[in-house]
Amino acid sequence: MACLTDADVQAVADGEAPDALGTHAAACASCRGRVDLRRIEMTELVAAAGRASPPPRLEARVREAARSAPRGATALREVRGRAIGARAIAALATAAATGAVVFLVLPRFGAPTRLSAAEVLGRSLQTLSNARGVERLEYELAFAGFGDGPHRIEQLVDHDRPTRYRIANYRADGTLESAISQDPAAGRRWHLIRVDGRNYIFELAAGRTPFVSLPELAEAQVEAIIGMMEATANQNLSIVDTAEGRQYVVQMPAAPPHATKALLDLYQARAVIDANDFHIAEFSATGTLLRQPYAVTFKLIRRTLQPAAGVAPGAFALEPGPDDVVLHGEATNDPLFDVLGTVLREVGRTKDR
Amino acid sequence: MAGVWMKTIDEGEAAAAPLVEAEGEVLRLFREHGAPLYRFCRCTLARGDEAEDVVQDVFLKLLQHLRRGGGGANLRAWLFQVAANGCRDRLRGRDRWLPWRADRDRRIAGPAAEEPDRRGALAALGALGPRDRLLLSLRAQGLSYREIASAAGIRERSVGRLLARAVDRWKKRIEG
Repeated sequence: MACLTDADVQAVADGEAPDALGTHAAACASCRGRVDLRRIEMTELVAAAGRASPPPRLEARVREAARSAPRGATALREVRGRAIGARAIAALATAAATGAVVFLVLPRFGAPTRLSAAEVLGRSLQTLSNARGVERLEYELAFAGFGDGPHRIEQLVDHDRPTRYRIANYRADGTLESAISQDPAAGRRWHLIRVDGRNYIFELAAGRTPFVSLPELAEAQVEAIIGMMEATANQNLSIVDTAEGRQYVVQMPAAPPHATKALLDLYQARAVIDANDFHIAEFSATGTLLRQPYAVTFKLIRRTLQPAAGVAPGAFALEPGPDDVVLHGEATNDPLFDVLGTVLREVGRTKDR
Repeated sequence: MAGVWMKTIDEGEAAAAPLVEAEGEVLRLFREHGAPLYRFCRCTLARGDEAEDVVQDVFLKLLQHLRRGGGGANLRAWLFQVAANGCRDRLRGRDRWLPWRADRDRRIAGPAAEEPDRRGALAALGALGPRDRLLLSLRAQGLSYREIASAAGIRERSVGRLLARAVDRWKKRIEG
Protein backbone atom coordinates (compact mmCIF):
# COMPACT_ATOMS: atom_id res chain seq x y z
CA MET A 1 0.00 0.00 0.00
CA ALA A 2 1.27 3.44 -0.88
CA CYS A 3 2.04 5.88 1.90
CA LEU A 4 -0.75 8.06 3.24
CA THR A 5 -1.81 11.33 1.66
CA ASP A 6 -2.12 14.42 3.82
CA ALA A 7 -5.88 13.91 3.96
CA ASP A 8 -5.34 10.29 5.04
CA VAL A 9 -2.96 11.38 7.78
CA GLN A 10 -5.52 13.89 8.97
CA ALA A 11 -8.27 11.28 9.00
CA VAL A 12 -6.13 8.77 10.89
CA ALA A 13 -5.16 11.41 13.44
CA ASP A 14 -8.82 12.34 13.83
CA GLY A 15 -9.94 8.71 14.16
CA GLU A 16 -12.05 9.01 11.04
CA ALA A 17 -10.02 6.81 8.68
CA PRO A 18 -10.88 3.30 7.47
CA ASP A 19 -9.07 0.50 9.24
CA ALA A 20 -6.75 -0.11 6.30
CA LEU A 21 -5.22 3.34 6.61
CA GLY A 22 -4.73 2.93 10.33
CA THR A 23 -3.05 -0.40 9.77
CA HIS A 24 -0.67 1.12 7.28
CA ALA A 25 0.17 3.98 9.62
CA ALA A 26 0.98 1.51 12.36
CA ALA A 27 3.35 -0.41 10.10
CA CYS A 28 5.04 2.46 8.28
CA ALA A 29 7.46 4.50 10.37
CA SER A 30 7.25 7.52 8.09
CA CYS A 31 3.46 7.65 8.10
CA ARG A 32 3.32 6.89 11.82
CA GLY A 33 5.54 9.91 12.45
CA ARG A 34 3.31 12.14 10.34
CA VAL A 35 0.20 10.90 12.15
CA ASP A 36 1.80 11.44 15.55
CA LEU A 37 2.79 14.96 14.59
CA ARG A 38 -0.70 15.74 13.34
CA ARG A 39 -2.21 14.40 16.57
CA ILE A 40 -0.02 16.78 18.52
CA GLU A 41 -1.09 19.65 16.29
CA MET A 42 -4.75 18.77 16.74
CA THR A 43 -4.25 18.70 20.49
CA GLU A 44 -2.74 22.17 20.22
CA LEU A 45 -5.75 23.24 18.19
CA VAL A 46 -8.14 22.07 20.89
CA ALA A 47 -6.07 23.88 23.50
CA ALA A 48 -6.08 27.05 21.41
CA ALA A 49 -9.84 26.92 21.05
CA GLY A 50 -10.05 26.85 24.85
CA ARG A 51 -12.08 24.96 27.37
CA ALA A 52 -13.85 27.97 28.80
CA SER A 53 -17.32 27.37 30.14
CA PRO A 54 -20.04 29.79 29.17
CA PRO A 55 -20.76 32.35 31.86
CA PRO A 56 -23.59 31.33 34.18
CA ARG A 57 -25.65 34.27 33.01
CA LEU A 58 -25.90 32.73 29.56
CA GLU A 59 -28.18 29.95 30.74
CA ALA A 60 -30.33 32.52 32.52
CA ARG A 61 -30.46 34.54 29.30
CA VAL A 62 -31.52 31.53 27.27
CA ARG A 63 -34.11 30.54 29.87
CA GLU A 64 -35.59 34.01 29.97
CA ALA A 65 -35.51 34.36 26.20
CA ALA A 66 -37.21 31.00 25.76
CA ARG A 67 -39.83 31.85 28.36
CA SER A 68 -40.68 35.20 26.83
CA ALA A 69 -40.25 34.27 23.17
CA PRO A 70 -43.38 35.00 21.14
CA ARG A 71 -44.98 32.33 19.00
CA GLY A 72 -44.06 34.11 15.78
CA ALA A 73 -40.83 33.96 13.88
CA THR A 74 -39.30 36.98 15.51
CA ALA A 75 -37.99 36.83 19.03
CA LEU A 76 -36.84 39.75 21.05
CA ARG A 77 -33.64 39.13 22.86
CA GLU A 78 -31.84 40.92 25.61
CA VAL A 79 -29.35 43.49 24.47
CA ARG A 80 -27.02 42.91 27.39
CA GLY A 81 -24.63 45.63 28.27
CA ARG A 82 -25.65 47.90 25.45
CA ALA A 83 -27.79 50.42 27.22
CA ILE A 84 -27.71 53.19 24.73
CA GLY A 85 -25.95 56.29 25.89
CA ALA A 86 -25.34 55.95 29.61
CA ARG A 87 -22.89 53.09 29.48
CA ALA A 88 -21.00 54.41 26.52
CA ILE A 89 -20.78 57.87 27.98
CA ALA A 90 -19.71 56.53 31.38
CA ALA A 91 -17.06 54.41 29.72
CA LEU A 92 -15.76 57.28 27.67
CA ALA A 93 -15.75 59.57 30.67
CA THR A 94 -13.75 56.99 32.56
CA ALA A 95 -11.36 56.68 29.68
CA ALA A 96 -10.97 60.41 29.47
CA ALA A 97 -10.42 60.66 33.20
CA THR A 98 -7.82 57.96 33.15
CA GLY A 99 -6.10 59.51 30.20
CA ALA A 100 -6.05 62.84 31.89
CA VAL A 101 -4.43 61.35 34.99
CA VAL A 102 -1.71 59.82 32.94
CA PHE A 103 -1.06 62.38 30.29
CA LEU A 104 -1.95 65.70 31.81
CA VAL A 105 -0.94 65.32 35.41
CA LEU A 106 1.78 62.77 35.85
CA PRO A 107 4.02 63.98 33.01
CA ARG A 108 4.29 67.29 34.81
CA PHE A 109 5.86 65.81 37.87
CA GLY A 110 8.98 67.77 37.07
CA ALA A 111 12.29 66.21 38.13
CA PRO A 112 11.27 63.43 40.46
CA THR A 113 14.83 62.64 41.52
CA ARG A 114 15.10 66.07 43.17
CA LEU A 115 11.55 66.62 44.38
CA SER A 116 9.56 64.93 47.04
CA ALA A 117 6.45 63.16 45.91
CA ALA A 118 4.29 65.75 47.65
CA GLU A 119 6.10 68.57 45.85
CA VAL A 120 5.70 66.74 42.57
CA LEU A 121 2.01 66.34 43.15
CA GLY A 122 1.65 69.97 44.11
CA ARG A 123 3.45 71.03 40.95
CA SER A 124 1.23 68.78 38.88
CA LEU A 125 -1.83 70.55 40.27
CA GLN A 126 -0.36 73.93 39.33
CA THR A 127 0.40 72.89 35.78
CA LEU A 128 -2.72 70.86 35.17
CA SER A 129 -4.24 73.29 32.68
CA ASN A 130 -1.10 74.56 30.96
CA ALA A 131 -1.25 72.38 27.83
CA ARG A 132 -1.90 74.21 24.58
CA GLY A 133 -2.77 73.06 21.08
CA VAL A 134 -4.43 69.85 19.97
CA GLU A 135 -3.35 66.72 21.75
CA ARG A 136 -3.87 63.29 20.22
CA LEU A 137 -3.62 60.34 22.57
CA GLU A 138 -3.84 56.65 21.87
CA TYR A 139 -3.73 54.17 24.70
CA GLU A 140 -4.94 50.79 25.91
CA LEU A 141 -7.33 50.79 28.81
CA ALA A 142 -8.78 48.04 30.97
CA PHE A 143 -11.41 49.04 33.46
CA ALA A 144 -12.93 46.45 35.80
CA GLY A 145 -16.59 46.01 35.06
CA PHE A 146 -16.32 47.62 31.65
CA GLY A 147 -16.69 44.94 28.95
CA ASP A 148 -14.07 42.35 28.19
CA GLY A 149 -11.18 44.80 27.88
CA PRO A 150 -8.62 45.93 27.20
CA HIS A 151 -9.97 48.78 25.11
CA ARG A 152 -8.02 51.02 22.84
CA ILE A 153 -8.89 54.68 23.26
CA GLU A 154 -8.15 57.37 20.73
CA GLN A 155 -8.61 60.85 22.08
CA LEU A 156 -8.31 64.22 20.38
CA VAL A 157 -8.56 67.31 22.57
CA ASP A 158 -8.18 70.97 21.66
CA HIS A 159 -6.71 72.47 24.81
CA ASP A 160 -7.26 75.97 23.48
CA ARG A 161 -10.96 75.20 23.22
CA PRO A 162 -11.67 72.34 25.65
CA THR A 163 -15.26 71.81 24.53
CA ARG A 164 -13.82 70.65 21.20
CA TYR A 165 -12.83 67.02 21.49
CA ARG A 166 -13.28 63.55 20.11
CA ILE A 167 -12.93 60.20 21.89
CA ALA A 168 -13.27 56.79 20.27
CA ASN A 169 -13.29 53.47 22.07
CA TYR A 170 -12.17 50.24 20.41
CA ARG A 171 -12.41 46.73 21.75
CA ALA A 172 -9.38 44.49 22.06
CA ASP A 173 -10.13 42.91 18.68
CA GLY A 174 -10.06 46.32 17.00
CA THR A 175 -13.81 46.76 16.68
CA LEU A 176 -15.06 50.28 17.24
CA GLU A 177 -17.50 50.18 20.13
CA SER A 178 -18.43 53.77 20.80
CA ALA A 179 -17.33 57.33 20.18
CA ILE A 180 -18.31 60.81 21.19
CA SER A 181 -17.16 64.07 19.70
CA GLN A 182 -18.08 67.71 19.84
CA ASP A 183 -17.07 70.67 17.74
CA PRO A 184 -18.53 74.04 18.74
CA ALA A 185 -17.21 75.56 15.51
CA ALA A 186 -19.42 73.21 13.53
CA GLY A 187 -22.28 73.50 16.03
CA ARG A 188 -22.49 69.74 16.26
CA ARG A 189 -22.11 66.91 18.72
CA TRP A 190 -21.88 63.30 17.63
CA HIS A 191 -22.40 60.03 19.48
CA LEU A 192 -21.54 56.74 17.85
CA ILE A 193 -22.76 53.45 19.26
CA ARG A 194 -22.17 50.07 17.67
CA VAL A 195 -25.03 47.60 18.04
CA ASP A 196 -25.12 44.16 16.43
CA GLY A 197 -22.24 44.98 14.14
CA ARG A 198 -23.63 48.27 12.84
CA ASN A 199 -22.68 51.83 13.69
CA TYR A 200 -25.45 54.19 14.78
CA ILE A 201 -24.38 57.82 14.67
CA PHE A 202 -26.37 60.52 16.42
CA GLU A 203 -25.64 63.87 14.86
CA LEU A 204 -26.97 66.56 17.14
CA ALA A 205 -27.24 70.21 16.27
CA ALA A 206 -25.95 72.26 19.19
CA GLY A 207 -27.66 75.60 19.03
CA ARG A 208 -26.79 76.57 22.56
CA THR A 209 -23.65 76.51 24.65
CA PRO A 210 -21.86 73.23 23.97
CA PHE A 211 -22.10 70.40 26.44
CA VAL A 212 -19.38 70.44 29.06
CA SER A 213 -16.16 68.86 27.84
CA LEU A 214 -15.47 65.31 29.00
CA PRO A 215 -11.76 66.13 29.24
CA GLU A 216 -12.65 69.07 31.48
CA LEU A 217 -14.71 66.78 33.67
CA ALA A 218 -11.78 64.41 33.75
CA GLU A 219 -9.45 67.17 34.84
CA ALA A 220 -11.74 67.99 37.74
CA GLN A 221 -11.66 64.33 38.71
CA VAL A 222 -7.91 64.29 38.38
CA GLU A 223 -7.56 67.23 40.73
CA ALA A 224 -9.46 65.27 43.34
CA ILE A 225 -7.23 62.23 42.82
CA ILE A 226 -4.05 64.27 42.99
CA GLY A 227 -5.27 65.93 46.15
CA MET A 228 -5.76 62.51 47.67
CA MET A 229 -2.34 61.33 46.55
CA GLU A 230 -0.83 64.50 47.99
CA ALA A 231 -2.39 63.72 51.33
CA THR A 232 -0.96 60.22 51.30
CA ALA A 233 2.32 59.73 53.12
CA ASN A 234 5.29 57.69 51.91
CA GLN A 235 4.84 57.73 48.17
CA ASN A 236 7.61 55.67 46.65
CA LEU A 237 9.81 56.92 43.87
CA SER A 238 12.35 54.64 42.21
CA ILE A 239 14.47 54.52 39.05
CA VAL A 240 14.54 51.45 36.86
CA ASP A 241 16.81 50.85 33.86
CA THR A 242 15.05 48.76 31.24
CA ALA A 243 15.68 47.73 27.65
CA GLU A 244 13.51 50.67 26.58
CA GLY A 245 15.54 53.10 28.66
CA ARG A 246 15.38 54.59 32.11
CA GLN A 247 11.99 54.76 33.78
CA TYR A 248 10.71 56.35 36.95
CA VAL A 249 8.24 54.34 38.97
CA VAL A 250 5.93 56.32 41.23
CA GLN A 251 3.91 54.19 43.57
CA MET A 252 1.41 55.03 46.22
CA PRO A 253 1.61 52.44 48.99
CA ALA A 254 -1.27 50.00 49.04
CA ALA A 255 -3.98 50.77 51.53
CA PRO A 256 -6.37 47.98 52.46
CA PRO A 257 -9.94 48.44 51.23
CA HIS A 258 -12.04 50.01 53.90
CA ALA A 259 -15.54 51.25 54.43
CA THR A 260 -15.81 54.84 53.28
CA LYS A 261 -18.44 57.43 52.65
CA ALA A 262 -16.21 59.30 50.23
CA LEU A 263 -17.35 59.51 46.62
CA LEU A 264 -13.80 58.86 45.45
CA ASP A 265 -11.19 56.80 47.26
CA LEU A 266 -7.82 55.47 46.19
CA TYR A 267 -6.33 52.25 47.55
CA GLN A 268 -3.32 51.95 45.30
CA ALA A 269 -1.76 53.74 42.35
CA ARG A 270 1.35 53.11 40.29
CA ALA A 271 2.80 54.96 37.33
CA VAL A 272 5.75 54.07 35.13
CA ILE A 273 7.23 57.26 33.66
CA ASP A 274 9.70 57.44 30.82
CA ALA A 275 12.77 59.32 32.05
CA ASN A 276 13.44 60.80 28.64
CA ASP A 277 10.39 62.99 28.27
CA PHE A 278 8.39 62.14 31.41
CA HIS A 279 5.52 60.58 29.54
CA ILE A 280 3.68 57.81 31.34
CA ALA A 281 4.29 54.37 29.88
CA GLU A 282 1.93 52.53 32.20
CA PHE A 283 -0.50 53.34 34.93
CA SER A 284 -2.70 51.35 37.29
CA ALA A 285 -4.97 52.27 40.16
CA THR A 286 -7.58 50.71 42.41
CA GLY A 287 -10.10 52.33 44.69
CA THR A 288 -13.75 53.22 44.89
CA LEU A 289 -15.73 55.64 42.76
CA LEU A 290 -19.24 56.53 43.90
CA ARG A 291 -18.67 53.86 46.56
CA GLN A 292 -18.23 51.16 43.93
CA PRO A 293 -14.87 49.39 43.63
CA TYR A 294 -12.91 50.08 40.49
CA ALA A 295 -9.61 49.00 39.03
CA VAL A 296 -8.04 50.60 36.01
CA THR A 297 -4.89 49.87 34.06
CA PHE A 298 -3.64 51.41 30.88
CA LYS A 299 -0.69 51.69 28.61
CA LEU A 300 0.34 54.50 26.28
CA ILE A 301 0.61 53.71 22.59
CA ARG A 302 1.12 57.18 21.11
CA ARG A 303 0.90 60.87 22.05
CA THR A 304 1.29 63.85 19.77
CA LEU A 305 0.73 67.56 20.26
CA GLN A 306 0.31 70.13 17.49
CA PRO A 307 -1.00 73.68 17.10
CA ALA A 308 -4.75 73.91 16.62
CA ALA A 309 -4.19 75.71 13.33
CA GLY A 310 -2.52 72.62 11.91
CA VAL A 311 -5.52 70.37 12.52
CA ALA A 312 -8.02 69.80 9.72
CA PRO A 313 -11.38 71.53 10.32
CA GLY A 314 -13.26 68.23 10.18
CA ALA A 315 -10.90 66.35 12.46
CA PHE A 316 -13.36 66.42 15.33
CA ALA A 317 -16.35 65.18 13.34
CA LEU A 318 -17.57 61.59 13.10
CA GLU A 319 -17.90 60.81 9.43
CA PRO A 320 -20.49 58.09 8.72
CA GLY A 321 -19.59 55.12 6.57
CA PRO A 322 -21.81 53.66 3.86
CA ASP A 323 -23.44 51.10 6.18
CA ASP A 324 -23.87 53.40 9.15
CA VAL A 325 -27.23 54.61 10.36
CA VAL A 326 -27.28 58.34 11.02
CA LEU A 327 -29.99 59.86 13.22
CA HIS A 328 -30.35 63.61 13.52
CA GLY A 329 -31.50 65.49 16.58
CA GLU A 330 -31.04 68.53 18.77
CA ALA A 331 -28.35 68.73 21.41
CA THR A 332 -29.05 69.82 24.97
CA ASN A 333 -26.90 69.59 28.08
CA ASP A 334 -28.27 66.10 28.74
CA PRO A 335 -26.43 63.72 26.38
CA LEU A 336 -28.31 60.66 27.59
CA PHE A 337 -31.65 62.25 26.80
CA ASP A 338 -30.32 63.53 23.49
CA VAL A 339 -29.55 60.01 22.33
CA LEU A 340 -32.60 58.38 23.85
CA GLY A 341 -34.90 61.16 22.68
CA THR A 342 -33.56 60.94 19.14
CA VAL A 343 -34.16 57.20 19.09
CA LEU A 344 -37.68 57.52 20.46
CA ARG A 345 -38.58 60.24 17.96
CA GLU A 346 -37.34 58.00 15.16
CA VAL A 347 -39.40 55.11 16.51
CA GLY A 348 -42.43 57.40 16.67
CA ARG A 349 -41.93 58.57 13.10
CA THR A 350 -41.58 55.00 11.91
CA LYS A 351 -44.79 54.02 13.64
CA ASP A 352 -46.67 56.95 12.14
CA ARG A 353 -45.70 56.03 8.58
CA MET B 1 -24.41 28.07 -1.00
CA ALA B 2 -27.25 29.97 0.62
CA GLY B 3 -29.39 26.87 0.39
CA VAL B 4 -26.82 24.89 2.25
CA TRP B 5 -26.54 27.47 4.99
CA MET B 6 -30.30 27.53 5.37
CA LYS B 7 -30.64 23.77 5.69
CA THR B 8 -32.82 22.70 8.62
CA ILE B 9 -33.51 19.56 10.56
CA ASP B 10 -35.60 16.96 8.80
CA GLU B 11 -38.91 17.82 10.34
CA GLY B 12 -40.45 14.47 9.62
CA GLU B 13 -38.04 12.38 11.63
CA ALA B 14 -39.41 12.91 15.09
CA ALA B 15 -42.70 13.56 16.76
CA ALA B 16 -43.74 17.15 17.42
CA ALA B 17 -42.78 18.45 20.82
CA PRO B 18 -45.69 19.74 22.83
CA LEU B 19 -45.49 23.47 23.34
CA VAL B 20 -45.29 23.17 27.10
CA GLU B 21 -42.26 20.91 26.83
CA ALA B 22 -40.37 22.91 24.22
CA GLU B 23 -38.86 25.39 26.65
CA GLY B 24 -37.70 22.64 28.96
CA GLU B 25 -36.24 20.75 26.05
CA VAL B 26 -34.35 23.86 24.94
CA LEU B 27 -32.83 24.25 28.39
CA ARG B 28 -31.90 20.58 28.50
CA LEU B 29 -30.23 20.86 25.13
CA PHE B 30 -28.48 24.06 26.19
CA ARG B 31 -26.94 22.22 29.13
CA GLU B 32 -25.83 19.46 26.80
CA HIS B 33 -24.53 21.52 23.89
CA GLY B 34 -24.28 25.09 25.18
CA ALA B 35 -20.66 24.94 26.34
CA PRO B 36 -19.11 23.63 23.09
CA LEU B 37 -21.34 25.98 21.10
CA TYR B 38 -20.20 28.92 23.19
CA ARG B 39 -16.56 27.92 22.78
CA PHE B 40 -17.03 27.55 19.05
CA CYS B 41 -18.62 30.99 18.76
CA ARG B 42 -16.04 32.59 21.02
CA CYS B 43 -13.23 31.02 19.04
CA THR B 44 -14.76 32.16 15.77
CA LEU B 45 -15.71 35.67 16.85
CA ALA B 46 -12.96 36.31 19.41
CA ARG B 47 -15.52 38.11 21.54
CA GLY B 48 -17.35 36.68 24.51
CA ASP B 49 -20.33 39.00 24.42
CA GLU B 50 -21.06 38.36 20.77
CA ALA B 51 -20.61 34.64 21.33
CA GLU B 52 -23.29 34.81 24.00
CA ASP B 53 -25.62 36.64 21.64
CA VAL B 54 -25.14 34.06 18.92
CA VAL B 55 -25.66 31.12 21.29
CA GLN B 56 -28.84 32.69 22.58
CA ASP B 57 -30.07 33.16 19.02
CA VAL B 58 -29.26 29.53 18.25
CA PHE B 59 -31.44 28.27 21.07
CA LEU B 60 -34.24 30.67 20.22
CA LYS B 61 -34.23 29.26 16.72
CA LEU B 62 -34.24 25.80 18.21
CA LEU B 63 -37.25 26.75 20.29
CA GLN B 64 -39.09 27.96 17.22
CA HIS B 65 -38.14 24.78 15.46
CA LEU B 66 -39.44 22.60 18.26
CA ARG B 67 -42.65 24.59 18.50
CA ARG B 68 -43.22 23.99 14.83
CA GLY B 69 -42.94 20.30 15.51
CA GLY B 70 -39.43 19.89 14.18
CA GLY B 71 -37.44 16.86 15.21
CA GLY B 72 -33.99 16.36 16.61
CA ALA B 73 -32.21 14.28 14.00
CA ASN B 74 -28.58 15.27 13.54
CA LEU B 75 -29.20 17.91 16.16
CA ARG B 76 -25.62 18.73 17.11
CA ALA B 77 -24.68 19.45 13.50
CA TRP B 78 -27.81 21.58 13.13
CA LEU B 79 -26.96 23.63 16.20
CA PHE B 80 -23.42 24.24 15.01
CA GLN B 81 -24.70 25.06 11.54
CA VAL B 82 -27.02 27.74 12.91
CA ALA B 83 -24.21 29.03 15.13
CA ALA B 84 -21.83 29.15 12.18
CA ASN B 85 -24.40 31.15 10.21
CA GLY B 86 -24.78 33.54 13.12
CA CYS B 87 -21.03 33.98 13.48
CA ARG B 88 -20.64 34.54 9.76
CA ASP B 89 -23.27 37.28 9.83
CA ARG B 90 -21.55 38.94 12.76
CA LEU B 91 -18.17 38.83 11.08
CA ARG B 92 -19.57 40.36 7.92
CA GLY B 93 -20.96 43.24 9.90
CA ARG B 94 -17.78 44.20 11.69
CA ASP B 95 -15.35 44.63 8.85
CA ARG B 96 -15.17 48.38 9.02
CA TRP B 97 -13.49 50.76 11.40
CA LEU B 98 -14.38 54.33 11.86
CA PRO B 99 -11.86 56.30 9.80
CA TRP B 100 -9.67 58.19 12.20
CA ARG B 101 -6.42 58.83 10.38
CA ALA B 102 -4.30 57.37 7.65
CA ASP B 103 -1.52 55.95 9.75
CA ARG B 104 -3.86 54.00 11.97
CA ASP B 105 -2.19 51.39 14.09
CA ARG B 106 -4.26 48.25 13.63
CA ARG B 107 -2.47 46.14 16.20
CA ILE B 108 -4.72 43.59 17.82
CA ALA B 109 -4.29 43.09 21.52
CA GLY B 110 -4.96 39.51 22.53
CA PRO B 111 -6.93 38.64 25.64
CA ALA B 112 -4.76 39.58 28.58
CA ALA B 113 -5.60 36.45 30.53
CA GLU B 114 -4.36 34.05 27.84
CA GLU B 115 -0.94 32.45 27.92
CA PRO B 116 1.40 33.77 25.19
CA ASP B 117 1.49 30.45 23.29
CA ARG B 118 -2.25 30.08 23.28
CA ARG B 119 -2.71 33.71 22.44
CA GLY B 120 -0.48 33.28 19.40
CA ALA B 121 -2.28 30.12 18.35
CA LEU B 122 -5.62 31.82 18.76
CA ALA B 123 -4.47 34.86 16.83
CA ALA B 124 -3.23 32.61 14.03
CA LEU B 125 -6.60 30.89 14.00
CA GLY B 126 -8.34 34.23 13.75
CA ALA B 127 -6.12 35.26 10.84
CA LEU B 128 -7.19 32.31 8.70
CA GLY B 129 -9.83 32.49 6.01
CA PRO B 130 -13.44 32.03 7.11
CA ARG B 131 -13.73 28.42 5.92
CA ASP B 132 -10.47 27.29 7.48
CA ARG B 133 -11.40 28.95 10.74
CA LEU B 134 -14.86 27.42 10.65
CA LEU B 135 -13.60 23.90 9.99
CA LEU B 136 -10.90 24.05 12.64
CA SER B 137 -13.26 25.57 15.20
CA LEU B 138 -15.81 22.83 14.54
CA ARG B 139 -13.21 20.09 14.81
CA ALA B 140 -11.80 21.64 17.98
CA GLN B 141 -15.22 21.16 19.56
CA GLY B 142 -15.14 17.47 18.76
CA LEU B 143 -17.52 17.29 15.83
CA SER B 144 -17.22 14.25 13.61
CA TYR B 145 -16.48 14.58 9.92
CA ARG B 146 -20.13 13.91 9.19
CA GLU B 147 -21.24 16.65 11.55
CA ILE B 148 -18.64 19.06 10.22
CA ALA B 149 -19.83 18.38 6.68
CA SER B 150 -23.40 19.09 7.67
CA ALA B 151 -22.60 22.22 9.66
CA ALA B 152 -20.22 23.66 7.07
CA GLY B 153 -22.20 22.66 4.00
CA ILE B 154 -19.47 20.59 2.39
CA ARG B 155 -19.17 16.94 1.33
CA GLU B 156 -18.17 14.56 4.06
CA ARG B 157 -15.41 13.02 1.99
CA SER B 158 -13.84 16.46 1.53
CA VAL B 159 -13.59 17.18 5.24
CA GLY B 160 -10.27 15.40 5.84
CA ARG B 161 -8.57 17.07 2.90
CA LEU B 162 -9.85 20.53 3.82
CA LEU B 163 -9.00 20.06 7.47
CA ALA B 164 -5.47 18.94 6.60
CA ARG B 165 -4.89 22.05 4.51
CA ALA B 166 -6.45 24.27 7.17
CA VAL B 167 -4.19 22.83 9.86
CA ASP B 168 -1.15 23.34 7.62
CA ARG B 169 -2.07 26.96 7.04
CA TRP B 170 -2.73 27.47 10.73
CA LYS B 171 0.67 26.05 11.70
CA LYS B 172 2.41 28.18 9.09
CA ARG B 173 0.83 31.30 10.54
CA ILE B 174 1.94 30.33 14.02
CA GLU B 175 5.49 29.73 12.87
CA GLY B 176 5.62 32.65 10.47
